[in-house]
Amino acid sequence: MTTITSSTALWYASRATGVVSLLLLSLVVMLGIVVNRQGRLPGLPSFAVTGLHRNLSLLSVLFIAVHVATAIIDPYVSIGLAAVVIPFTSAYEPFWLGLGAVALDLIAALVVTSLLRARISRRYWRGIHWLAYAAWPVALAHGFGASPDLRSGGLRVLAVSCALVVGAAGLWRLASRAGQVPRAQRAAAALAATRPGGLPRPVRARDGGAR
Amino acid sequence: MTHSATLPMPGPGQRPGDGRQPLARHDGYPDGPPRLMPAHGTDPAGLAEHLGRFGPPPYRGGARRLIGEVEAAGLTGRGGAAFPTYRKLAAMAAGNGPAPVVVGNGAEGEPASSKDKALLWYSPHLVLDGLQLAAEAVGSAAAGLYVHRNPRLHERLAAAIADRAAAGLDAAQVELIEAPPRFLAGEESALASRVSGGLALPRFKPPRASQRGVAGRRTLVQNVETLAHLALIARYGAAWFRSTGTPDEPGSMLATLHQADGRTGVVETTLGTPIASLLRLPAQAVLVGGYHGAWLPAGQAELLPLANAALRPLGAAVGAGVLAALPADRCGLAETARVVRYLALESAGQCGPCFNGLPRIAGALAELAGPRPRPQAMADLERWSGLVTGRGACHHPDGTVRLVRSALRVFAPEIDHHAHGYCTAASSQPFLPLPAETALDDADWK
Repeated sequence: MTTITSSTALWYASRATGVVSLLLLSLVVMLGIVVNRQGRLPGLPSFAVTGLHRNLSLLSVLFIAVHVATAIIDPYVSIGLAAVVIPFTSAYEPFWLGLGAVALDLIAALVVTSLLRARISRRYWRGIHWLAYAAWPVALAHGFGASPDLRSGGLRVLAVSCALVVGAAGLWRLASRAGQVPRAQRAAAALAATRPGGLPRPVRARDGGAR
Repeated sequence: MTHSATLPMPGPGQRPGDGRQPLARHDGYPDGPPRLMPAHGTDPAGLAEHLGRFGPPPYRGGARRLIGEVEAAGLTGRGGAAFPTYRKLAAMAAGNGPAPVVVGNGAEGEPASSKDKALLWYSPHLVLDGLQLAAEAVGSAAAGLYVHRNPRLHERLAAAIADRAAAGLDAAQVELIEAPPRFLAGEESALASRVSGGLALPRFKPPRASQRGVAGRRTLVQNVETLAHLALIARYGAAWFRSTGTPDEPGSMLATLHQADGRTGVVETTLGTPIASLLRLPAQAVLVGGYHGAWLPAGQAELLPLANAALRPLGAAVGAGVLAALPADRCGLAETARVVRYLALESAGQCGPCFNGLPRIAGALAELAGPRPRPQAMADLERWSGLVTGRGACHHPDGTVRLVRSALRVFAPEIDHHAHGYCTAASSQPFLPLPAETALDDADWK
């Protein structure tokens, strides 16, 4: 194990923020699936799940920004600015960094359209948001390929756990879609689920009223 | 005289009016109400009678030319939102691209409102004139009339449209489209979807119907009563229109009245008319603006005019002109619970906060309407009301919560009684009108 020196600090920072970004992105995708299916998480109302999804995605943007910036600034390998956004143009690890650039572009599109969500058509926003399902595996592959960090030890356990969580959420999405209540019956189903006697009942007046 | 025509529900052979005649006249046309509703003893559905009274639609010979008159008149939308009509016309006329579509909205999904049905039944040609003039003003050659499901009314309107086409009166071709009997069917984006051949479901905005509506084209949606006013403004001018009503809210309006004795009718009144002169009070409370409206205590309502300037500060609005006087022997909580249950079931099932939240609100309100509700029912109700507001593609959750909150305010003493296990109501007979059926599948939204 090497120690952190002034010359390796950027390299470590880039790797660390990369790992945290993967963790955050996995949570964001998982929460996004829960939001999409109007699911619940224990102890959280559904609006809080939506809020968590949004806030964690903005937090992950911050970590990705540091991850990318430190990788560029770090003098150990030279990664050009262009190679960060234009896939497969890097001199160093062109394929694996190229995947990172693809993921970065996709995530940028997701974030920008979400910030503009109130101003653009819901249909466009929705269409772009499907890209999340492409961005996450590409980012994971970038992580596995670009650095040996995720291939062994505790970080491998973390990466595999992330993959399992997102995979389970994806399967749950497919399953819940199959068992979905038809749109026209959703309100009636929800009303039936309110406590028994949830329908207005006549109340008997006591001694002709209490005025 | 503030109002002079109490109309029965549309039916064959029925005639409106109570015999009072308006005093002032302009160009032979009355200043005060009834303006929209026909004179005694005429058959307004007949094109000959209509032409005899009004002549052909006064086309201006080009787009935009009528808009200045509408602006001077101060006409606002009579569908409930009271948005200035000239602004919608001007924005539509100024837009680029293919010619827009104009649709007259007579869906009237609100069960407590009958004024659009009454207007379409008694004065169809005034509405159709307005549709033509609005289409001309925005440079459109395609018009639609979107009307709630009623075979007799459709037959009558189809005949009226055919008569006009035969007489060569219409510049824009008019298509008659049936609205499903859903509360939200008249919401602008739901209308655009239905008229395009889809389900009458509200959509997320943007795009608004004015940007991308019927078949992807820019669409002007105006309530049918607004169009009828437009047809009169085009003939008699802004000054005539403003000669009744208040300076801020000019003109006449149709209102649906539900009296405490159970009688119901549509009247043409003016904005600014005292509520006490429209409803036979005393009553327990007054529902203003329909099922997305608000309850007011009767003692407060009887001092107020029917005008947004007076009602908005109290959290109420004229809306589409529904006024209901709750009789003293009914339970306001039980009535509101029935209505909110209906509203919850009328959720389009698209937005989670709406189709999950409104049923919970309905359930909690039903609990408050029953004996000895759990103490936390009230807290649940307030929490869920806060959670659904502003979180739908349309304003269904917001409007429902407005009604619920007003009921909690106005019927607070009754909530106390229920907490102690009794209710002041002597009758459990339902009062406010509700349709028996709600949607089961997509076909019910067509």
